[in-house]
This record gives sequence, structure tokens and C-alpha cells, in this order.
Amino acid sequence: MSAPLTPEQAWQPLPATAWDSSAARHLLRRAGWAARPEDVARAVADGLTATLNRLFPATPPAFPRPVFMAKAEERLSALRPKKRAATTREERQILDREERELERLASVDFSIRWLQAAAEPARGAYEKWVLFLADVYVVAFEKVRRADYHYIHRDLLRTLGAGPAPELTKAISRSPAMIDYLDLSRNSRRAPNENFARELFELFVLGEGHYTEDDIKQAARAFAGYRIGKNGFRLDPRSSDSGTKTVFGQNGAWSGDEVIDLAYTQPSAATFLPREMARFYLTDTPPPPEFFTPLGATWRASGLELRALCHAFFGSTVFYHPDYRANYIKSPVHYLLGLVQDLRLDLTPLPRATLQPLRQMGQNLLEPPNVRGWVGGRLWINSSTLAARRQLARTLCTPLDEENLNADERLELTAARDSGRSRFTVDDERIRDLASLGANGVADRLCDFFLPLAVPPAYRATVVDYLETGTSEELEERVRRATIALLQSPEYQLC
Amino acid sequence: MLLPSTRREFLRHSTRGIGLLAFSRFAPRFLVQSTLAAPAPEKDRRILVLVQLAGGNDGLNTVVPFDDPAYHALRPSLALKQNTVLRVSDHLGLHPACAPLHTLMQEGRLGIVQNVGYPNPNRSHFRSTEIWETASDADESLSSGWIGRYLDNACAGTPGPTDPDAIHISAEVPQSFGGAQPHHTFSLSPGAGRANRTETPLLERLAGSDHAAAEGNHSFLRATLMDALVAEKKIQRILETAKPATPYPAGNFSQSLRNVSALIAAGLPTRVYFVSLAGFDTHANQANAHANLLRQLSEGLAAFQADLVARRLDDQVLTMTFSEFGRRPVENQSRGTDHGTAAPLFVMGRSIAGPLHGSTPDLRVEKNADIRFGTDFRSVYATVLDRWLETPADAILGAHHERLGFLG
Repeated sequence: MSAPLTPEQAWQPLPATAWDSSAARHLLRRAGWAARPEDVARAVADGLTATLNRLFPATPPAFPRPVFMAKAEERLSALRPKKRAATTREERQILDREERELERLASVDFSIRWLQAAAEPARGAYEKWVLFLADVYVVAFEKVRRADYHYIHRDLLRTLGAGPAPELTKAISRSPAMIDYLDLSRNSRRAPNENFARELFELFVLGEGHYTEDDIKQAARAFAGYRIGKNGFRLDPRSSDSGTKTVFGQNGAWSGDEVIDLAYTQPSAATFLPREMARFYLTDTPPPPEFFTPLGATWRASGLELRALCHAFFGSTVFYHPDYRANYIKSPVHYLLGLVQDLRLDLTPLPRATLQPLRQMGQNLLEPPNVRGWVGGRLWINSSTLAARRQLARTLCTPLDEENLNADERLELTAARDSGRSRFTVDDERIRDLASLGANGVADRLCDFFLPLAVPPAYRATVVDYLETGTSEELEERVRRATIALLQSPEYQLC
Repeated sequence: MLLPSTRREFLRHSTRGIGLLAFSRFAPRFLVQSTLAAPAPEKDRRILVLVQLAGGNDGLNTVVPFDDPAYHALRPSLALKQNTVLRVSDHLGLHPACAPLHTLMQEGRLGIVQNVGYPNPNRSHFRSTEIWETASDADESLSSGWIGRYLDNACAGTPGPTDPDAIHISAEVPQSFGGAQPHHTFSLSPGAGRANRTETPLLERLAGSDHAAAEGNHSFLRATLMDALVAEKKIQRILETAKPATPYPAGNFSQSLRNVSALIAAGLPTRVYFVSLAGFDTHANQANAHANLLRQLSEGLAAFQADLVARRLDDQVLTMTFSEFGRRPVENQSRGTDHGTAAPLFVMGRSIAGPLHGSTPDLRVEKNADIRFGTDFRSVYATVLDRWLETPADAILGAHHERLGFLG
């Protein structure tokens, strides 16, 4: 253990002299999914500030509505009036089923498209940031069975995720997915529903203990009448409540937006989200909120701009502290996308190669377990999730058995190949190239490029010994197995 | 250094690298666990072997309604002739590639549950497999699998052994294994047998290597992996030394069943095995491909059952097949069949009560339409859970489903 930092030291910018390839690898693995050698070299050459500008740009990358979703919506918009006009129960049920099925297919497709985008090295860090925000502003398909709502929700997180936090939170309060998920659509002047107001304070802005039950009751009134209209958000004047509310001791005829602004004036708003970031990016056991006070002050001075928070957080001294190196367990999404990037693959656009392994590893992409999102850390790991991780590494390092694919899966692969994505698994040629480095070269490549920590010489020697034992005809097979073993190792699960 | 598979072996090796783990906060489970715990009593052991026919098996050409004119009208090129099928009844016959299954049937060891499906069928492989594996309604999404929920129920409150609760021999972890609690599930690669063919020996050496600096999450990961590897080691040893009592045909599927039999014979407490045979998505030129698949299935199952009988283990094992859906009654323009709905499945064991269960599908369907299921697949599960595994089926399935009479 190194000497602990005081909060003031912790949030000082990292001294320029401390920015080296080891620090760059740490940043790339924690902020994104992997540290490929060329990205590390570029980051070192560019410097920390320029690298952060690149990872967290002022203009977030676009993610157009997936083609399948657009087509499904066409069909759905034809279905909905039919459903209203249906005269018998049977007729309605048939239409209901078709609707549900289209939504489900669109959600599966959306998940895979997002994984494809997030796997691109240039946008990995920002999409991981979107995943973090989605783990704060949680919605789940189990309740919100509209794929387009999930798309809109993610798009809000993406496009507003670099701007001021209060603006993002206001937009989220109007997000159809959120209105449905936290029952805002049931919240009316006569029958207030406090679900959203509670989570707004507890999980989005302030954290537990920084508001009273009365604050929640009063705030809920400000969000009465939030509804999903034909074209998104709509305020229902008959259900809304224009009366005076007392929130955080302040009286006024507050609107929902004004309540959100009030919440952000509370001191704990400046440390709550930074501490959630620490839990997502840094450690299973983040320090107490007070530790984040200097970071909170910097953030508040920026007008609570999320991009400024990212730059301050990932540019801080504490982020690179030895206590936080190579000891954080990768999430299943991180493991999958890290493998895809480390192995320079194209994500296989099939549920069985993406969503299914993710679920088996414990992360069902659009289905966080509850309103708090995933707990993560050691809870990711048990014998069955570890078996699923090992299986995934094996699958990605073994040529795809296309004979055993179903006809529709083959079509998906053909479509992906036509769009220039064809390296779904590590092929023989890549193994041959690797094998040509010789046993020591292979061991160095595997240990230095893939593992987040310096392994003892005996560890490396074990890999060399394994590669050297056996006939030369089997060398390539041993290289393949050694690659798989390294990717399954406890060390590779860490970042 | 190889990993020890028992506590005694561990102690013998503990002066070497692996000994470091003993001082870590996360001792592998097999060290902490009492070694005096009695093994599961052999007599009461009831094992379920699930055989997945992945891709959607064509039920109508598996159990053939040979004298139904509608069948021949729907299948101008694919219909099997009356004189080629293996008679099961006056109206039904097995595909000619199923001769070994036909013999088992005559011996009272194999039964057919006809026309199994569920209301509002889904024709997506992914989704329908999910429905079968989670035992959900068509329009409901469950996160846990039916075997996982069985394990939740069966293993609640007992300390987890290092031996796996369920083992699958398939490229993917079956969704049916997912439970509310984590269970020790184990994956064996298809056709695997000898340890030196996989990456595991190197991983063992890496996980067991001296790594004094390991602490916190690193140490936790090493201990958890070590537990998994100890189980794997034990299983590899069983497979390396196992000799089947009767011969098995070549091919991954049969060899997978051979391995299942070896693990059962070795007395593993594992209650559920899952084996997969893929390729049933026969959209084009189905005849030969389907015959080959059914041959592999039949020969594999028959060899497995013969082996169990020879080892006197057949009273402990029930085998059942399933597929995500059957295929469209009418053949398509490519001499194949498209995704359909209900299909028959096989149950195999020491004593199966009669060859046929459930009702034969009605083929008088509208143009390009599907047959309507006669038996809900959850009735099959309920029967297996209740009458074979002797657990509260209704709680595991979340509803009451009629029990069937195939268990003698």
C-alpha cells in the first residue's frame, strides 16, 4: 500500500511527469475497454489532456436509429390503430402478440448495434460513459417494453452526457422510458406517485440521507402530469399541480425542472455522481463522500458540466494511484468488448455470440436487476459466470463453426461481411503470425499486451515452457491454447 | 505443478506455490469444506440428461403419420413412404434412421411424447429456445432457467460442493441452468476427453503459480478459479480413465454421451447433464441432412442406454430430448421445411410406460399454416420434476401443469 492521499492531493491534476505508458494503459482500460499498443503509444505521445479531449469529446459521437427499429416502427404505427379498432378479444390478442414480438426483436437488434458501436476503439470510452449513465438513470425492458423508448433514452444520455448534469436530468425526467419505468405517467395532482421523485433524489442527484420524506412528497407534486404523448413528452394540464411546494426549505410554485435545479443546489449533489463514478470506474469500495469534496468544487465551478467532470476525474492524481491499478474486476460488457478489441475482432452480430454470453456472465444488457443497476465488483464472479467467461474466450479464439448456425444467423453474418465486418473470431492466419514470434515472443506479447499487471518471471516462464513442450507441428495449436488460457486467467479479468 | 483434487493432495503440495492461497483471505472452497461429508447415497440418485436438438427438429419426419393423406399432400418430395418407416402404431412410424430407437421402444425403454409445444408459438430460434429453457409463457420473459430453479430448490441451504450441480456439453451455457442463486455449473467441450487437448493445463499452472503479490480482487479471482479447476481436474481424470461398458459410435454427440455416462458411473453428485446436437435447421435439401442427424441421435442414445444398462445405472437416469420448435407441415420450394411449432420429443429410461403419449397432431391445417400443439412442454417438465426428480414442480414452474404418464 502506498501512502494515502488527502482529498486535496487526490484531486490535483496528475503531474505531467507521471504520464507514461503504464498510466496510459490504466486510463485506456478503465475509461474504455482495452489498451491496444498503438492506442497506448498515441496517448503517451499526445499527452493526458489531449487524450481526454479525444476520449470525452465536446460533441458526442452520433448513434443513428437502427434500420431494423425504424422498419419495426413503421409496422407498429400501422398496428396500433388496428388494435384500437379491434372488435374482438382474439383479434386484439393477435395484434398484441405481434407488437410484443416486434418490440423484442427491435430491442435485441438495438443491443447488438450498440455493442458494435461500443466495440469501436475510437468511441469505446464515450460509450462506456453512456453505459455508466445508463447505470445511474436506470430503465429496464422488463417493464418498458418499447424498444424505441430505450433508444431515445440512450440517445439522451449520449447527446446530453457531455453537457450540464441538470440539463441531462431534466431531459431524463421527460424520457418516455423513464416516465414509464418510474410510474410518472401515474403521477397526478389528485393521486401523487412518489416513485420518480424518490429516485431523483436518492439515485440520480443526491444519495440517501440528503433529503426528507417531505421533500419527496412535495417534489412529486411538481412532476404530476408528466405523460408520454404521441410525439414524446407531454404535460397534462388537468393532472399537473401548479400549487406552492416546499422543497429543501424553499417555497414556490415549483415546476419539475425547478425542483431539479433546486436539488442540484444541495451540497451533496456535487459529490454524489463523482462517487458513483468512483464505484463504476475505480473501486468496489469508494471512499466516503467527503473525500470527493474538492472534485465536487471543481465540478460545480464548471457549471456541473459532465465533460468537465470526466476530465477532472480521469485526469486526477488519485485515478492513477497504485491502490487503484489492476485490481478492478471487469464487468461482463467490459470483458466481451475488451476481448473484441484486444483480439482485433468484429463483434459477431448474433444474440448467441453477444447477448447470451453477457446474460450468462450476469449482465443482461437492457435488463438491469433493479432500479439501482448492477452492483458489480465481486458479485460478477462465481463458478458459473467464470465458466461463461472462459467459454467466451474459447469461442472467440476458435474458428466459427458455421455449419452449426441456423439459417437466419448465416444471413446476419453475410450482411455483416457485406458491410466490411468479417473478423468474428481469431483465425488460423493470426495464430500463425503470432506463432512466428517464437515462444518468448508469444509469451511477451500475451503477458504484456493483454494483462493489466506485471507478472512475475515464473509466470512468463510457465507460458514459454508450455509453448516449447511438444512437437513443432502442434506449436500453432499451443499458441492458440496459450492465448485462450491467458484471456481466461484471473489476471485478465482485472483492469 | 498440477492442481490437487483432494485436500490430502493439497496438503502434500502446499509447500509449493499453491500454498500461498492458504494464507489468502479467500481460501478455495474445497479446503474449507468438510471432507467428512457423506457422498450422495447412490440408491436415491436420480439424474436427468437433457438432449437438445438445436435448430428445430422436423417432428413430422421423425414420428411419421404414414397413412395420413394430408401428410403426403403436404410433403410431395419429403414424405416418407409407409414401407420405409419403423412401425410404432397402425398410423405412426419412426424415421428409418431411428432403428436403434425403435428397438429401445420395443424393450419399453423409450417413449414418444407427441405434439409438444406451447400456446402462441414463437418462431425465432433465439426466443423459442429461451421459452423452452426458462419454461416461460410465450409473452413473458424470465431471467432464470427451469433447471436453475430446480437447483435453487434442491440445493437451498446446503453448502456448495466443489462438484458441479449441472454439467453441459455444448458450445454455450444453456439458459436453463441460470438460477436465482449461482450454481456450480460446469462446461465440457463437445468431444473433449483428454485434458491435453484444451487450454486448461496451462491455466492450472498459471492459476497455481507463485504470485505473492496477489491480494484483494486478484486473490479472490484466483481462489474462485481454483475451485472451478479442481472440479475440472477431477472430471478430466474420470474421463481419461473411463472405459465404457459397451462401444459408442464415433462423432462428437456420441462421445459426449459417453462422457456423461463415465461421469455418472464415477458417482458424481451432479443431477443434470445437458448435451446438444445441432444442425436441425433444415430449410433446404432436408432429406439427407435430417436422416444423418436422426442417425447420430439414435445411435448415440442407444449406445448411451446400453452402457447404462451394462453398468446397472439405468435405474438412475432419465433422458429426454427437446427442440425449440418443430417445422412447418408443408415443405418449402427448396425441399426443406421452415420454422414451425409443436413436435414430438423422446423420453428414455429403464422403464417407460408405453411408446406413445399425448395426441397425434391434426394435419388438416390451412395453407402454409402450422399444427396446434397438444401437450404443453411444461407438462413434460412438471412430470420430470415431480415424478422423477421428486421436487415441487408447480413452485419451480410457477403454475400447475398436468402430469403425463410416461414414467413407469
